[in-house]
Amino acid sequence: MFLNSVVLILQEILEAALLISILLVLSRQLQLSARWFATGMILGGIGAFILSVNLATISEWLDYAGQEILIAGIMIAVLGLLTLIGLYSTSALWASRHSLPYLMSICVALALSREGAEIVIYLGGILNHQESVQPTFTGAGIGAGIGLSAGVLLYFGLLSLPARWIFCTCILLLALIGGTMASQATLLLTQVDWVAYSPVLWDSSIWLPEDSIPGHLLYALVGYEATPSLFQAIAYGIGFLLVSISATLGYLNHFRSRRKNTGEK
Amino acid sequence: MSRSIGRFVMLLAFTLGIGSNTSFADTPIVELRIRNHLFFPDTLEVPAHTKIKLLVINEDPTPEEFESYELNREKVILGHRKTVIFIGPLPPGEYPFFGEFYPKTAQGKIVVSAQQPSE
Amino acid sequence: MRSIRLFLIAATLAVLTLFNFVAALQGYSSSLKEANKLFDQHLRQTAELIARLYAGHPIKSLDDESTLAYQVWRGQELLASFGIEHTQPITDFYPGFGHANFDGYRWRTLVYYDQDHRNWIITAERTDLRYQLAESVISHAILPILLSIPLAGLLIWLIISHGLKPLRMLSQQLKNKQADDLSPVVLPELKSELQQVSQSINALMSRLEVALNREKHFTADAAHELRTPISALKIQLHNLEEDISPDNEAFQQLRAGVDRIQHLVEQLLSLYRSTPEQLAHNFCRINLHQLAQEVIAELHDKFEGKQQIAELAGQPCMIEGDPFALTTLLQNLLSNASKYTPAGGHILVTVNAEENTVYLKVEDSGPGIAPEDYDKIFKRFQRLNNKPDGSTTPGCGLGLTIVRNIADLHRARIEIERSCFESGTAFIVIFTRTED
Repeated sequence: MFLNSVVLILQEILEAALLISILLVLSRQLQLSARWFATGMILGGIGAFILSVNLATISEWLDYAGQEILIAGIMIAVLGLLTLIGLYSTSALWASRHSLPYLMSICVALALSREGAEIVIYLGGILNHQESVQPTFTGAGIGAGIGLSAGVLLYFGLLSLPARWIFCTCILLLALIGGTMASQATLLLTQVDWVAYSPVLWDSSIWLPEDSIPGHLLYALVGYEATPSLFQAIAYGIGFLLVSISATLGYLNHFRSRRKNTGEK
Repeated sequence: MSRSIGRFVMLLAFTLGIGSNTSFADTPIVELRIRNHLFFPDTLEVPAHTKIKLLVINEDPTPEEFESYELNREKVILGHRKTVIFIGPLPPGEYPFFGEFYPKTAQGKIVVSAQQPSE
Repeated sequence: MRSIRLFLIAATLAVLTLFNFVAALQGYSSSLKEANKLFDQHLRQTAELIARLYAGHPIKSLDDESTLAYQVWRGQELLASFGIEHTQPITDFYPGFGHANFDGYRWRTLVYYDQDHRNWIITAERTDLRYQLAESVISHAILPILLSIPLAGLLIWLIISHGLKPLRMLSQQLKNKQADDLSPVVLPELKSELQQVSQSINALMSRLEVALNREKHFTADAAHELRTPISALKIQLHNLEEDISPDNEAFQQLRAGVDRIQHLVEQLLSLYRSTPEQLAHNFCRINLHQLAQEVIAELHDKFEGKQQIAELAGQPCMIEGDPFALTTLLQNLLSNASKYTPAGGHILVTVNAEENTVYLKVEDSGPGIAPEDYDKIFKRFQRLNNKPDGSTTPGCGLGLTIVRNIADLHRARIEIERSCFESGTAFIVIFTRTED
């Protein structure tokens, strides 16, 4: 139970911690107050609890496809929020910058609800097995420790980059997470036959298994998949491009309005 | 204009397979039960290159997560509930799966054989 | 990285946790692998032992305490079994290790074929029991690593806080410094990393002190030197007055100009005198109310000239202060009030005591000052053009700077608000009260 709970908790915590770290760095670069972080955490905790309690019912909706549809929906919502964050954080408009904390807290709340619900269900189930409680919670502690440490180190790592690279790197990482969201949503929809089967593109499970620590880290950071399908890869590309293009558009808009202003002077 | 949009949506729906509900009828259903953190049966034989509808029934009071890295599938099944997972079409081979919440005991594999399984 | 300390603690703890936990995980995995090997070896030894036992005549059981189960088969006939009720084979007859679901459990199985006697021996162990045993042993070894992290965190916090203490002391000293205190910063024990910083700060301080002194002396010396020629000018003007008709406009303007220069020079000198370095600290107990009365009387002509009514309210209050400086403060505040209040206006001076403070309030019925200008008026040579007709009142703009210098010297606070009249400003100087 120990190793298993490490892997399970690590997977969920790492994904959330990396997203939160990147958003925190971004909000710091934009000199926003980090109050959205606390709001997002609290909402995420409440969301995880509500989702875990109702998952049994949700699962039976839509001919047993409810769970996948809901989670894929959350992932697509996160992708949408990341696109808006990309657009607004590079845009010059003060009004759009004003809405960034709200977008960030909703984004964190949605991501945490999804990740948290699985942890709540898992640990809740374990409580019925008296003999497994100690190893499971030790494992959960180790998994959470590794995940949170990776998040903290990514945060400081990003901040220690040369100032002009920080912003671009954050946007790039958000675009990668956006790609992961789209690809995972596609996978979930394939699982309930809402998206048709498509051939597997490659198999790198021998070189870098998904269930290894580097595999988990890469999955959380860039959405690594050992055997991705064609549609997953296409979705990944679309998700990545959505976030990166919206950020570029925001930047161009900012640049143009600045040039127009200086031109008028 | 609106007609071309409609055609585009249809094309998109076709590509994404949203209209593939007709295939439910000829999709073989395979049953998999979870009892005392074990999969019954622990070996499923399915035909190659065929989409399978896997009906997973959790008879335990505790939740379980069906997971397979080889099949790219992951789904939580709560206690005393059942669920549906579509797999395949798959090329012949062995595809292990496990219960992520109790992986030491909940182990199983899907064997995809080239010929029709004899039942 | 807003705080160096927070960064050091968080980053160190994260690295420590990450490496410790991953190492623990690796240790766990390899321990489990070894444990599995041992358990498998046990299965094999048991199978071999049973094979030898069943070569002759079968016995009832091997060991009542064992968690192992076994079956002995010859062909389709079950010769003996232990730990299992069922009469089906646990697993298929393929020699070697494997896993099987049987009787509601998952088993680690070993199929052993005794060729001499054509016996199939299947030994099996429940995986849940096997892992439970291995796990409880290993996870007890891991728990201390997990529990040690908060303790390590506490120690890291203490060590880093202690290590950054000299830096914190340096910044504390700089923070506590008075604006005019240019004495060098002294740290009890100078760490090599901070040596350059404190040396540079102290060098900067002494350079600044020299420059400030030079500026102050230059102003004071120049003002002092200007006094004599201005006095001479005044005498010459007086002499000239007898020769020229008094209503000669050019002459009037010349006299006004000379008066203004004289005022400026006097103010510059009293500004110099009101700086802490120049004021002899001959503080004594003063009745502020009485002093205010004296200054109002002194300035009587000025108020009379503009038909202004100057009143004094309040009660006798004692403060600790320099009589000369406080007289200058009152003079400046009252002249200002008179200057900016139109003819026929009101000026109200109040001296009163509150809990542990004494306040002096000078209110006028002039045009008043916009709140956004409150900070500006204390700057040297700063004058506000707030008269409706745009004209300016004669003055040099040093009065309030002098007032503030004197207030600072007495550790008094100045507040500005609207006066009690329809329009106008109230200047409030708040002193600490001396115990009666």
